[in-house]
Amino acid sequence: MIFIFLGIALTLSILIFLFPHRIVFAAGSFFYVLLHVTLTVYSYNKLGACDSVYFRFDSLAVLLNALLSILLIPTLFHANLYFRRYVKDVKKEAQFVSAMIILASAISSVYYAENIVVMWVSIEITTLAVSFLIYHNRYETPLEAAWKYLFLSSVGIAIAFLGILILATQSASSEGANLSVSYLASVASQMDPFFLKTAFVLILTGYSVKLNVFPLFAATIDAKTVAPSPVNAIISTALVNAGFVAVFRVYSIVNQTAMNSWAQNVLLITGLISISLATIQLFRIKRFKRMFAFSSMEHVALILIALSVGKPGYYAALLHLVFHTLVKAGLFFQFGQVRAFFHSGWIKDSGGYFNLNGTGSLAFLLGILSILAIPPSGLFISEFLIFKALFSGGYLVVGIFVLVLLTVIIYVIVSKTMHLLFAEIPATYKPGAAIVNRFEPVSQFLLFIAVIYLGFNPPEILTGLIHQTIQFLN
Amino acid sequence: MVIVLIVLFAATLVYFFLSERVSNFIWLLSVQGVILFGIAFNNLLHIQPLGLILILLETLIVKAIVIPWFLNQLRHKNELKRVHESKVPVFYSLIIISAILIGSFLLSYTIDNEIIQLRFFTVALATVIGGMYFIVIHKNIFSHLVGFLIIENGTFLLSLAVGGEMPFLVSLAVLLDVLIAVLVIGVFLNKVRDSFDTILVSKLNKLKD
Amino acid sequence: MVLNPVVIFLVSLVFPGVVARTKAKIVGRKGAPVVQPFFDNIRLFQKGNVYSQTTSWIFQIAPVIYFSTIFMAMLFIPLGKQPALLSFEGDFVVFAYLLAFGKFMMIAAAMDTGSGFEGMGANREAFYSLLVEPAFFIVIASMALLTNHTSFYNLFNNLHLESELSYLIAVLSVYIFLWIAMIENSRLPVDDPKTHLELTMVHEVMVLDYSGFDLALIQLANGIKFAIYGALIFNFVLPMQDYFVAQLVIFFVVQLLFAISVGALESFKARNKMAKNPQWILSLSALAILGFLSVLIITGKIILMD
Repeated sequence: MIFIFLGIALTLSILIFLFPHRIVFAAGSFFYVLLHVTLTVYSYNKLGACDSVYFRFDSLAVLLNALLSILLIPTLFHANLYFRRYVKDVKKEAQFVSAMIILASAISSVYYAENIVVMWVSIEITTLAVSFLIYHNRYETPLEAAWKYLFLSSVGIAIAFLGILILATQSASSEGANLSVSYLASVASQMDPFFLKTAFVLILTGYSVKLNVFPLFAATIDAKTVAPSPVNAIISTALVNAGFVAVFRVYSIVNQTAMNSWAQNVLLITGLISISLATIQLFRIKRFKRMFAFSSMEHVALILIALSVGKPGYYAALLHLVFHTLVKAGLFFQFGQVRAFFHSGWIKDSGGYFNLNGTGSLAFLLGILSILAIPPSGLFISEFLIFKALFSGGYLVVGIFVLVLLTVIIYVIVSKTMHLLFAEIPATYKPGAAIVNRFEPVSQFLLFIAVIYLGFNPPEILTGLIHQTIQFLN
Repeated sequence: MVIVLIVLFAATLVYFFLSERVSNFIWLLSVQGVILFGIAFNNLLHIQPLGLILILLETLIVKAIVIPWFLNQLRHKNELKRVHESKVPVFYSLIIISAILIGSFLLSYTIDNEIIQLRFFTVALATVIGGMYFIVIHKNIFSHLVGFLIIENGTFLLSLAVGGEMPFLVSLAVLLDVLIAVLVIGVFLNKVRDSFDTILVSKLNKLKD
Repeated sequence: MVLNPVVIFLVSLVFPGVVARTKAKIVGRKGAPVVQPFFDNIRLFQKGNVYSQTTSWIFQIAPVIYFSTIFMAMLFIPLGKQPALLSFEGDFVVFAYLLAFGKFMMIAAAMDTGSGFEGMGANREAFYSLLVEPAFFIVIASMALLTNHTSFYNLFNNLHLESELSYLIAVLSVYIFLWIAMIENSRLPVDDPKTHLELTMVHEVMVLDYSGFDLALIQLANGIKFAIYGALIFNFVLPMQDYFVAQLVIFFVVQLLFAISVGALESFKARNKMAKNPQWILSLSALAILGFLSVLIITGKIILMD
């Protein structure tokens, strides 16, 4: 099924690329979204089944793929808006949509991959697709970001491959190396502890590019600084989730062995360093997208910290991941409109947004409140669960430290947001220059309200999938 | 025979840090490709012909010919300087690469593991660390690409320790992936050179806040 | 046994001549006869010395000590099955430091003249010797580890080429020794004896103030040094022959080939940039370390499993 999906996606992408016509890619993207949703529904019905030797309809994969399906619709809508505002070139838009389809398919392939080499290949493809998506408008800064992202990701992924190879040497038997996650998890306890640890660290290091955490976060932050908002909505959410899936799979292998507590410590340290760095960097930011990028870093760090607590933290971690995906995507969509108003992503060029666009600023404010985990937001629930796990698990100092950092982060982000909403309208502002679509904030409101609703009243499907995912972990 | 080739492979690593000429980098990458071909040929004769052909294709055609040729094209097209100096004097780099080699040997010595092929692991580890060090000490993105290829060669060396047992489809995907990545990086290098009129990484600083 | 120093000395008399002749042939000149340096030395021996007033006794005794240390070092060299005149466990250390002592005296003498150029040359010579030393010792140490012996004679006589890796080590060692010989004798690519500019000289500038008898001694010693390294290389590549005459023939052939290759190298290779010399010499040590690690693998000191 996945092979069919990937085949159709590739065909669609090539078709759109070859025939750059508005109708072709409108129909193509509509068809692709339909295909993606079909895949989600199909895989949910076949939950747990294998799809060839390389893929499996795993509960985590279904959950995250469903999120991607949901995000694809507004993403394509906002991408269209973006092109109508800035580029007005059908050919480039076709290339963009075509690359977006490749990216989304590769991300889905990462989610569903059972074989860790297939996962690795898919992650490499996401790197290439993201580089094209960043660079599509041919300015210098995007080029620089694309180069850095491409290069650092490639190096990181090569490092991750080294880790995979070490796992392969450890699992090799007479009939050949079986690199499926479930097989590796079943033989993990017989592996040499040193090599398992090395592999885990190498893979975590390599995929930290995608996960947007320490140590290889710099290029990702740069990429997010220059990427168009619709692209950002995918690479800050679905792609981060892909990195999370990759790390989570390897973690679930290590989890079966006596090295579990060691691996948890590694995750904890990574998380703590990342959240500290994000906090420090937030003071220096001058662009909104960079602020959001560091905010993503903070949330992923929180998720890693939650994972490191062990059983009590798993549920909270995955819930946080889901909520963060929805909120961050919505924020980026809304920021697309902000950028259209001020023609700049710099904080200093913004101000008075509340007077200029009331609905839009309400959406923005709601998004910021949600991402900061201020009570009605679902993120509050998940963060609350994380801290509950931290305190009940005896991580008192860690918990307090993270809380302090979160307070600082709230202060910084709120002050920048206040500047955008209530400061004087900057001199550079040209009235009437922005093309405003009336329906633009609808998707954002839907996403934010969904998060609030899901936080208070998580449906059976969501909790069921999360519980299924974590039941194999120790 | 394999061990001789592995030691030769390590020797190429030393020369990567001795030379500062772009043509030498390209030439050494090609030599590494040929050595990898030798190792693969020796090590993997027992596997089925299809996999063998694939690995020979990867080493002899891709690593020893296509990529060096491509790098040469890049070099001529962008009119790169003949000599790329590194930030760290070659003298210290040589000391460091020797230390890396000795360090990875000592590490392998302390590991007592029967499953992994340690002689591959040792040099592969040294190569990957060496490649990263290469990237760190060089100032321009072309040399960074060379460093990336050194890392790739290191991982490939390790993959030979298991490569024979990987499924055919998976190896093919990995091969294509790496090749495409190198080509795309090369294309981006061209673009950087066109837009920034330089390949010095210190000039790529427009993103700084 | 007694014959070893004699043949080495004989070779040393014509060695510089052969090198010069090769270079002449390659550039298309007729060239001087191969014994010309020998005649030059005889002429110099008949002349008196001129000493600068600023120099002290160090300057005057340095050439004699230089010559005698190299002469002593020559006595440690075995030739195939012919043991050396002086041979004991660990003799290669004495060998190395005899050469070093001679060099030290030359450096001291160069400093003694008070000339800026000579001080600079001495500085460089000292630095290069310092860098070349680890390469020499690591190679010899690998040999010692491989054979479990520590004297030149036992080392070379127990050097059995068995596994493929040991061939690699032999090739690597000869390669390193060839370059060590070039550096120790102040030849290309580190130093160019033909150079006319004091600024780029290394060894030549150090002996600028010598004349007559002292100069002849120094030049003679240089020839012997070359022949010593040629003999060492001969020991590396020699398949153990029991026939003395055959050995002798091979010895001369190896020395001749060595001299010709030195000449050829000097004709085709350009001198390194002065700043690149240290790193180039250090790379020899790095390669020597690789050889050493390989020996550790062969001898099972480090076990790397298949």
